[in-house]
Amino acid sequence: MGKKLKAKAAPEQRAGTVITIVLLAALYIFLFALDNALPTNSTTVMLIPVLQKGAIYALVCVSMNLLNGFTGLFSLGQAGFMLIGAYSFAIFSIPAAQHPAVYQYFDGGIIQFSIPEAIGGVLGENAGAFLGSILCILIAGVVAGIFAALIGIPVLRLKSDYLAIATLGFAEILRAFFQWDGLGKITNGSNLLRKYTNFHNIKIQVGGMIYQLDSIFPFFIATLSILIIVLLVNSSYGRAFKSIRDDEVAAEAMGINLFKHKMLSFVISSFFAGVGGALLAMFQTTVQAAPFRASMTYEILLMVVIGGIGSISGSCIASFLYIACSEWWLRFLDSGSFMGMSVPFFRDGFRKVVFSVVIMIIVLFFSRGIMGDKELSFAGMMRKRKKKQEAQAAKAATGKEGDAK
Amino acid sequence: MKKILALLLAGCMAFALCACGTAADPQPADDGDTAAASGDTIVIGVFEPLSGDNGAGGKQEVLGMQYANSICPTVEIDGKTYNVKLEIADNESSNDKAVSAAKTLISKNPSIILGSYGSGVSIAASDTFAQAGIPAMGVTCTNPQVTEGNSHYFRIAFLDPFQGTVLANFANKELGAAKVYCIGQLGNDYDQGLLNYFKQAAEQLGMECVVESFPENNSDFNSYLTNAKNQGCDAIFAPTSISYAQLIVEQAAAQGINVPMLASDTWDSNVILGAAQGKDLEIYVSTFYAEGGNADFEAGIKEWINADSTNLSNNGGNDMLAAVTVMGYDAYFTALEAIKAAGSADPAAVMAALPGVTYTGITGEIAFDDTGDAIRDSAFIKTANVTDNVWDFVAVQGIE
Repeated sequence: MGKKLKAKAAPEQRAGTVITIVLLAALYIFLFALDNALPTNSTTVMLIPVLQKGAIYALVCVSMNLLNGFTGLFSLGQAGFMLIGAYSFAIFSIPAAQHPAVYQYFDGGIIQFSIPEAIGGVLGENAGAFLGSILCILIAGVVAGIFAALIGIPVLRLKSDYLAIATLGFAEILRAFFQWDGLGKITNGSNLLRKYTNFHNIKIQVGGMIYQLDSIFPFFIATLSILIIVLLVNSSYGRAFKSIRDDEVAAEAMGINLFKHKMLSFVISSFFAGVGGALLAMFQTTVQAAPFRASMTYEILLMVVIGGIGSISGSCIASFLYIACSEWWLRFLDSGSFMGMSVPFFRDGFRKVVFSVVIMIIVLFFSRGIMGDKELSFAGMMRKRKKKQEAQAAKAATGKEGDAK
Repeated sequence: MKKILALLLAGCMAFALCACGTAADPQPADDGDTAAASGDTIVIGVFEPLSGDNGAGGKQEVLGMQYANSICPTVEIDGKTYNVKLEIADNESSNDKAVSAAKTLISKNPSIILGSYGSGVSIAASDTFAQAGIPAMGVTCTNPQVTEGNSHYFRIAFLDPFQGTVLANFANKELGAAKVYCIGQLGNDYDQGLLNYFKQAAEQLGMECVVESFPENNSDFNSYLTNAKNQGCDAIFAPTSISYAQLIVEQAAAQGINVPMLASDTWDSNVILGAAQGKDLEIYVSTFYAEGGNADFEAGIKEWINADSTNLSNNGGNDMLAAVTVMGYDAYFTALEAIKAAGSADPAAVMAALPGVTYTGITGEIAFDDTGDAIRDSAFIKTANVTDNVWDFVAVQGIE
């Protein structure tokens, strides 16, 4: 029976995968064109940062969704782990020559090397920036994961609201810790870390031509990370996570080690939050602990809720929509004029008012978000269409029969 | 019924989003591309915080530029008159919003960018401007890192090492302080930088410093002020942002702290005067401009501010002049000088012309040194007159 069902679903599944791959390839070709070929005008100038930031937030939202949506652990520590990721990335990729200028109050700091430079010394500058930043991103994820494992031991024994409070507090403590002067030789205290590898440094040389990878790079890392999370969610671990979310007692009775699985989900989610933090650091070109406050976590949580708790595709759609609205589409509300007309109440801050109202409407009337807990899947769409066609055919057939009678 | 309502709202929202999408797309193109193409409008980008911690100061700085634009809305290059348009982008006082705000400005094809109030956001956006090849001019950002190592960033303000030293000198020579309590916000590079420079200079002058930091969003300064009292400090140095300054002033008055309080350019605001009014406090600030320096200019700008309720509310509800407003005014004219010197609206030409630009502004002579910083050798010290609710000029303080 099971085998039969699987065999029946296979063609749609395969076609769905093909469509997904084709669309992704088209997206990457578009991004490559955007980075290198398309003319610079007011639209493309804004499109690049919106897409970069959207991809970064999509990854962070999906990582939060893994914890909140799939494992049912209501954690609010995301900004803290992003902070760790951002700092780990920046600290290891500031060029050695820039240390005295960056760590100006701390005698140049104590870490006197840069991973992209070290790799660049062997393989050339472009390869150094590319491979070095990937390595630094991995380090950022691992450091965030280690912190998560440490904090997880006491915190994951708590449930629901208490877990949220504990993780929120942890993130706040972490921020103060990074700002502490005593660690200044590593974290630069309250001051900015800057001059490290950013998206603009990522380029490849093919033949004699140098191609920019400004927006492809964050998409590449984000796609890869989200793919890993999707595979995880669909594996036996993912089923264990979902069973913990639905009923802890039942899950335990089925032989699932609650603490082990919660820890696994927490560490993996934090790893990807760290990766997202590293990408955000690259996007911002400077890192300071101050913006990684609780409101950043709420922003991410909001995107997850708008997208639908428990839907990965929902999180991705919501993060792109949210970033595009807040950074681009709604900016005209601040400008004082609309389509050439002067509108007196369109002034500074009005954007935020409209944005808040839109969010309130979504949360009030679409409490399950854009996607609910469903996924956007081409295989599913095709299956649905086929079913509809079959139903229509059947209806037509019965109709004919009726006529015949 | 509920479903219908929800659908209706969804429809409204979708319409709004579509409207935003289509409206936002052609609009910048009209402003930016055609302006550059037709060549009769020159865009000056204004990169300032209009919300967030530094929103109040940022708005006052923008006012100066808007006033300057209202009295001189054109610039003449090679006998042709061009209109000058200010494009303002809100960086929300936040480093993570700075990059996209900077990109918004770049999408409008500016010849030069002015700003920002607050050094952190300026440093955060610096690389974005550099990549686009557009010169930027800091108006009141005082952290050395804004211009250091950047060939595209200039500034017309003095620097924190200078300001810290000036204040330490003033505390030592004029106030006769021997032990100073220094307090700043943890995680704020502006506060911590100034504390650092003040401490260095103060210790060289033989003063003792007690340095403490408070966390973000702190609203109770009583324990810090009590500590200052218990330590026997005879002056308090608090280079914080306006929102905290207000709380510190009120709580110091409530505690009956009668030692002089010293602060930097951020405190030079009518908000602080309002908080200190009628209280037994001695407040000194170092700043760029003292009211009463140029009567004609002040009469003009006050009339302009009073004529428009939006301007008045952006200035904090009255027509008192903040030094940052005057600096904004000077920055606008310095930018025009640079465009005239370049002989074109091309950002690269403006950048090349900027190092040689000189301008005599309301706040004094403006010229740039090798790193792109203004050559300034003195700061104004003002004190809060708590009975008349005005700033009184005290001295012009330099470094010895």
